[in-house]
Amino acid sequence: MTEKNIIEMTGVQKRFGSFQAVSDLTLSLREGEFFSLLGPSGCGKTTALRMIAGFQEPTEGKVVIDGQDMDGIAANKRPTNMVFQSYAIFPHLDVGDNVAYGLRNRGIARAEINRQVSEALEMVELGGLERRGANELSGGQRQRVALARALVMRPKVLLLDEPLSALDKKLREQMQFEMRHLQQSLGITFVMVTHDQYEAMTMSDRIGVMFEGRLVQVDAPATLYASPSNREVASFIGEMNFMPGAVKEETDTSLTVESPGFGTMTIPRNPNVETPGKSVLLGIRPEQLEIAKEQPPEYDATVEGVVRDVAFYGENVHYHVRVDGVDSRIAISVPNYFHTVDHGPGDKVWLGVQGESVIDLGQQSDKPI
Amino acid sequence: MNLRSETAKGTALSAPATLYVGLLVAAPLIILIAYSLWTQTYVDLDRTPTLANYREALTDPLVRHLMIRSILISAAVTVVTVALAYPIAYFIALKAKKKTLWLLLITIPFWSSYLLRVFAWKLILGFNGVMNSALLALGLIDEPLTFLLYNEFAVVLTLAHAWAPFAILPIFVSIQKIDPSLLEAATDLGSNKLESFLRVTLPLTTQGIIAACLIIFIPTVGDYVTPSLVGGSDGKMIANLIQVQFGAANNWPLGATLSLLAMLSVGFVAIVFVIGASTLGRRIR
Ligand SMILES: Nc1ncnc2c1ncn2[C@@H]1O[C@H](COP(=O)(O)OP(=O)(O)OP(=O)(O)O)[C@@H](O)[C@H]1O
Ligand SMILES: [Mg+2]
Repeated sequence: MTEKNIIEMTGVQKRFGSFQAVSDLTLSLREGEFFSLLGPSGCGKTTALRMIAGFQEPTEGKVVIDGQDMDGIAANKRPTNMVFQSYAIFPHLDVGDNVAYGLRNRGIARAEINRQVSEALEMVELGGLERRGANELSGGQRQRVALARALVMRPKVLLLDEPLSALDKKLREQMQFEMRHLQQSLGITFVMVTHDQYEAMTMSDRIGVMFEGRLVQVDAPATLYASPSNREVASFIGEMNFMPGAVKEETDTSLTVESPGFGTMTIPRNPNVETPGKSVLLGIRPEQLEIAKEQPPEYDATVEGVVRDVAFYGENVHYHVRVDGVDSRIAISVPNYFHTVDHGPGDKVWLGVQGESVIDLGQQSDKPI
Repeated sequence: MNLRSETAKGTALSAPATLYVGLLVAAPLIILIAYSLWTQTYVDLDRTPTLANYREALTDPLVRHLMIRSILISAAVTVVTVALAYPIAYFIALKAKKKTLWLLLITIPFWSSYLLRVFAWKLILGFNGVMNSALLALGLIDEPLTFLLYNEFAVVLTLAHAWAPFAILPIFVSIQKIDPSLLEAATDLGSNKLESFLRVTLPLTTQGIIAACLIIFIPTVGDYVTPSLVGGSDGKMIANLIQVQFGAANNWPLGATLSLLAMLSVGFVAIVFVIGASTLGRRIR
């Protein structure tokens, strides 16, 4: 990754009639990074991607790719290539001709085309499948052909619209690693659209979270997880327990808060949110909570509760615990160390949390928790 | 449902069609073959099998001439119709908002009889017809054009108009079936509009084009109404000769022979065309 910005979008808007699909999108993508646009269905991710590709004109705003303003530049003249959600493999062409399609537009000599095609197919581990028909491919193979067909063009930016959503879970996880490796070895900027937070987190250098046409936060996956900029992001990415807190003391780096149930604790301030006033919204990730039969001594804050539900996930166990004074149930996730489920519904338990791992989500909104 | 009752159901469902085809295609064909092997002796039929009719038909230069002309005229009709139908089908499938309305409009010519439409062309193209009157009135010509009617041109024009909807529909269906993201992928890979059309749309619609060509070529070779009404002597086709054999000449065996030969020629041309066109379609990369 370099410091150069390969894509700069400034104040980009897209309206369909009176419907605002994308509003005021300002975003800089660095050369060589793997960037994901993450958001729920219908939030405008695909529209944003298609404006980069040139399939849709922004209603307002500017898209600059590699220093060149894309206004008035048609999709077939842009230095981008796309992997379509449906893969869009040409059904009348075999694998080799699909991959060669774009190269033939460039008038390259036949031998050179063949060389580049077989190299691209090697790269996606489809070496030697040139003469396989488009309709004789599995879902995973189609995905690889689509990838090879776009990458053989050596685009400055590769755009991917939910590239893995049509694959089953195992294959998807495998492809996540393969695509990440490919991206890193080629050094091409990847911009991927996805609604799968795990996919975005495992593959990306940075993630942009979109809600209802608006880009809400752009950060590295770990930052996004640890310091979400608001409640929406916090609940969209991973799971989160929310509870209100009253601010007792504040410094530049910490807040001392009192929350119902857990009592008083000192938590780090979140640089991504507005300064809290008197009240603050607190977030605790389920895996940051300890659950025990006795009051755990080494925690900053503890509270007693009753187990309501237990869900066994294999690698970890989820408990839902009811605590007096907290409106919603508290979710706890515990790694399954010894293949035992220690607590059952109705059991009295203690919960413990360290102040350090509690997330400050800023001024509490009026919305009920 | 088990396999046996599935088969039984299939047989039952296709029974009416089988019966229909059997009675209306197979039976007449057998009768036709039988006739072609007999001989007409004035008012009687000599039923001793002979290939004399075939010999006569194949050696007669008039038959060969009419057969070749029929195939050429039909080929011209096919080319003109499909070439004109393609852009229309393309527009309806990809650009038009009210597809159903457009398709309905296309079928309007069918609401009047075929004969009436042929006569309409006669009125338009005739010596004192609409076209000549308009051109005279505009002062573009000094005397009526005579090359408009009673020749191959008039036959091609009339047939092309009559058969246009049959070409538009199969092509429309084949264009409609193309996944729009394929065209976007072509654009994404650097093709301009023309290149995308030639390298993606066209090869993906070859089946529709072939279907349209066959639907038009095969029946028009055998058309005798249009050539006899607007074709004059230059526009006569093989079917006119066949008609004469079954009518004025009263030589049914020769008529049957000519019909069978026409069928074989058309079948041969059609098969060669299908193989050629499919191969060509597959060669586009
Ligand atoms: N061509 C269009 N005309 C009108 N509205 C459109 C058009 N394309 C998209 N929209 C609307 O814009 C909004 C955003 O669409 P978009 O396809 O960008 O969503 P998305 O975030 O990609 O969703 P998904 O995850 O379901 O693919 C949707 O409400 C959609 O209905
Ligand atoms: Mg989408």
